[in-house]
Amino acid sequence: MSSVIEQIEQQIANLQTKAVASNTGKIVTVGDGVAKIDGLSEAMYNEMIEFPGGTIGIALNLEEDEVGAVILGEANHLKEGDEAKCTGKLLSVPVGKELLGRVVNALGQPEDGKGAIDCKETFPVEKIAPGIIERKSVDQPLMTGIQAIDSMIPIGRGQRELIIGDRGTGKTTIAIDTIINQANINKVGLASGDPDFRPVYSIYVAVGQKNSNVARTLGVLEEKGALEYTIVVSAPAADSAANQYLAPYTGAAMGEWFMANGMDALIVYDDLSKHAAAYRQMSLVLKRPSGREAYPGDVFYLHSRLLERSARVNEDNGNGSLTALPIIETLAGDLSAYIPTNVISITDGQIFLETDLFNQGIRPAVSVGLSVSRVGSAAQLKATKQVAGKIKLELAQFRELAAFAQFGSDLDAKTKAQLDRGSRIVELFKQPAFNPIPIEQQVGVLWAMQNNYFDDIDVSKVVGAADSMRDFFVSRKEALLTSIREKAKIDDEIAEQLKTAVDEWKNSFS
Amino acid sequence: MTQDKQIKDFAKQLLKMSQDGSDVSAERVDGVLKALDKNPPRHHIALLKAYLKLVQREVAKSTAVVSHAGALSSDATEAIAAELSAKYGRAISTVTREDSSLIAGLRVVVDCDVYDSSVSSALTSLQASLS
Repeated sequence: MSSVIEQIEQQIANLQTKAVASNTGKIVTVGDGVAKIDGLSEAMYNEMIEFPGGTIGIALNLEEDEVGAVILGEANHLKEGDEAKCTGKLLSVPVGKELLGRVVNALGQPEDGKGAIDCKETFPVEKIAPGIIERKSVDQPLMTGIQAIDSMIPIGRGQRELIIGDRGTGKTTIAIDTIINQANINKVGLASGDPDFRPVYSIYVAVGQKNSNVARTLGVLEEKGALEYTIVVSAPAADSAANQYLAPYTGAAMGEWFMANGMDALIVYDDLSKHAAAYRQMSLVLKRPSGREAYPGDVFYLHSRLLERSARVNEDNGNGSLTALPIIETLAGDLSAYIPTNVISITDGQIFLETDLFNQGIRPAVSVGLSVSRVGSAAQLKATKQVAGKIKLELAQFRELAAFAQFGSDLDAKTKAQLDRGSRIVELFKQPAFNPIPIEQQVGVLWAMQNNYFDDIDVSKVVGAADSMRDFFVSRKEALLTSIREKAKIDDEIAEQLKTAVDEWKNSFS
Repeated sequence: MTQDKQIKDFAKQLLKMSQDGSDVSAERVDGVLKALDKNPPRHHIALLKAYLKLVQREVAKSTAVVSHAGALSSDATEAIAAELSAKYGRAISTVTREDSSLIAGLRVVVDCDVYDSSVSSALTSLQASLS
């Protein structure tokens, strides 16, 4: 108790002895979450502005006579003539491992009712992305646990891979699966005591989503035991446009802390279409000139500066990484709209999800032809490369030939074989939501596909056969899975063991 | 929007004409007002309002409004003016105002800058640091 009294006395003593200098202005207009302020001659771009009642704003428009500031939080009590003060600080948010397992708002304040978060450090929300010298090529894989992605569109640590598709095609599910898979890998890796193991921490940024959706996602993460490795930054649809604009940058700052401290992190921006819409709303209220689709001229920069902050830095800079999975929602599969083309050009590849595939029951509904990973193959595990090298080509050929499938009896034997194989691969890649598959199991099943073990299994039974094979590996061939995981490649010894194991499974399955 | 800009630009020109060096001259302002009265421009009232705002802003740059609770000696006022003139590199005149809401101490405002050593602001800041 005495220390509290001393603290107050000290505070009073400090305040009594000096005059506090501040740069101030007066609110001219306030509305729609934006205040125009006369004065504030020393305001910096992106500086925090203090309003009466402790409300905070960010100076975004520095004009000749006025400053335009977006207000973060409640603005109903502000009125014309109220004093606004410069704080001399750029907006910063708490960062650190203390945030793991917590849900925070765009300012990093807890939203989950689990009490205060005792973070030791803060990072600025806006930061210049690492430069060329600090970076390193992407060379370590980031497993999503989704077979179709890990085998055909591999993602590396530090990569920016866009997830794009219409509403209800499973975009968020892919991101959540990836987060769950990181948690599963972390648990195994940390339990193994391997000093070289590098866990991946996740940050899920929900922008403009329904609270019910965020609650459902949280429920899944908690149920799967992934929340303890995840920070959730939430700026739901009911939040102000300013908070929705800010949330991805807040998440990026939290991710940068992991990267700056030599750790690996994954950040999901769900989604950047709503982020762009929030920025458009803010810009229109700030009376910035609007361009195509009424977005302001700097909407490209809005996303490029955000996604550039995801990087793999070299050993001199801590050897950490920040991998980004931005999500974009398209309308009627239109990839050529303004925001989708912008983000496609910024990212290192995209996973395109098709409504038609989804409705046909092919889930995850990844369109092989339109999806690509520009840098991930350098980071792909050798074992996966060995078993999945030809699969993308076979599947692409299958899609091309699928149009002829209806003339089945008139096709030559080679085409029929390609169609048969393609349809089996499609079945093999079907995977239920929130059920990521460890990479060693993926390798085992793909090896069996590559070596024609599925050819005599009816197409409708391929999913069941793959499940049965994985169960067999887990229950009977744990040592084989461990050696695939540890060696990360298929040498003669592992190939021989796989052959024996799959033969054994085939006998029991049929 | 264009009209607003034209009015602002015109008001800025009038302000330049009203300045003697960096200070606003009462004599020149009077001349400007008389000229406007004689030949009223389009949007006369809007122009005068814009001109008033600019002049107020210029005057505020060289005026320190000293709010105080309790007595304030003329020596203290002079010392404040001298200190501020040295700080800003221009002559600063003072205007004193009694403000009992400060409880005790001073609050000096020069343009956008506020120097506050009042007890009321200290208490407000203490309250903020404890909440």
